[in-house]
Amino acid sequence: MSGRPIATDRSATGIPTHRLAIWWVLASEVVIFGGLLGAYLMHRLGHPEWAEAASHTQTWIGAVNTFVLLTSSFTAVLAHQAAEKGDGKKAAMLLVFTIGGALTFLMIKSFEWYTEISHGYTITANTFWSFYYTAAGLHALHVIAGAIIMGIVAVGAFKGRMLHRVEIIGIYWHFVDVVWIFLFPLLYIAK
Amino acid sequence: MSEHSDHNGHGHGEGHGTGFYFKIYLTLLVLFLISVAGPEIGEATGIRAITLVTAFGIALWKARLVINEFMHLKAEKRIMKWLLTTSVILMALMVAGVSPDVLNHRGNNWENLAAQAAVERGLAEMAGEVHEEEGTEVVEAEPAGFTAAASYGTVCATCHGAAGDGSGVAGAALDPPPANFTDPVFWEGRDRDRIITVIRDGAAAVGGSALMAPWGALYDEEQLGLMADYVMSFNPNQ
Ligand code: HEC
Repeated sequence: MSGRPIATDRSATGIPTHRLAIWWVLASEVVIFGGLLGAYLMHRLGHPEWAEAASHTQTWIGAVNTFVLLTSSFTAVLAHQAAEKGDGKKAAMLLVFTIGGALTFLMIKSFEWYTEISHGYTITANTFWSFYYTAAGLHALHVIAGAIIMGIVAVGAFKGRMLHRVEIIGIYWHFVDVVWIFLFPLLYIAK
Repeated sequence: MSEHSDHNGHGHGEGHGTGFYFKIYLTLLVLFLISVAGPEIGEATGIRAITLVTAFGIALWKARLVINEFMHLKAEKRIMKWLLTTSVILMALMVAGVSPDVLNHRGNNWENLAAQAAVERGLAEMAGEVHEEEGTEVVEAEPAGFTAAASYGTVCATCHGAAGDGSGVAGAALDPPPANFTDPVFWEGRDRDRIITVIRDGAAAVGGSALMAPWGALYDEEQLGLMADYVMSFNPNQ
């Protein structure tokens, strides 16, 4: 293990470096998503007429996707648990389930956007729809990135390598879930 | 705690069995169902508080569960909690800082005309859609998608106000002020032909102010009539 980077062993905070790193990523994500959702919320409150546009979002689709993401968070935490016990194969399998959740989410999202766009609710239709596509789109990009990285981590875990990565991608994935937990009421429920 | 964290970093969160995580997952699902059902009840009963509490209160609760139990932030070193809290506070400060300018559309020394016009236009369009759905005779939907209400909302409401009372934002500074169609006195001696002339050729054509511009280029003969009917529908004595 001589090729191992020094930084993984050093830890001024007492937190392993890889975990410290993902927390830093998330700390900056909080500001990115927080700023976007905050801006949306303020505009929504200042524009009563957005109620009309907002009434066209499809609540049940948002609800199904919430369920999908919650479930994928559950499999992600089980993958972490398996990795902790050193069971790389099981961790990899659970990560594959989680990726399945990500893909299901994206498929449902594509169907949703397809129906909306074909009804003329495009990103330029009005400011509500601009926010809608920007916020959900930025979130969807995170889902895509998560799915890809989980794939890479799962391959390693299957071979019993770099099991600590399972926890790190898990923390990231839960964050993606948390963002959706807020997007769901903002875009679909509070009409 | 994570004091005995080994250098693989798997030390924390240990001791939680599958059963524990499953319980958290089930709790999340129950909360999720409440967050969907609550707003339905809120809407049915007309109590907005139910909607807001079940939608956003539950979201906070769910987020807390995921962050504490799935991300194991609860068991993480304190410095990490402070780092993330700082991030949330900075974000909240930023939002709070700009909120007076975004939430309000007018302040002591400023007015956001574009936002005000957008609100008026949007509300007028909503009203127009309602008319259309109810099929009232005032607004006859044209095949080309023309409705007098919608056109009034986009073209005229900025001066005459969505309610026709002359309170449009762009009209506030005009002298003479835009006509108030809800004032019975205004309608004394004004008939449909005059209104059509004014819309087509401007108020100057009837001896009024040029601030009321001619809009004839926008409408054909039939649409002019519909616009006039719509304007006349503001007359309280009609
Ligand atoms: C730029 C602001 C502005 C817009 C936009 C505007 N108006 Fe006017 N309108 C005025 C003003 C100002 C007057 C008052 C003129 C006067 O008193 O001489 C007026 C007067 C009128 C009158 C009464 C004229 C009379 O003396 O009988 C009618 C009817 C009218 N507007 C209809 C409309 C319609 C319909 C539209 C949309 C197609 C419209 N206006 C758009 C500013 C506006």
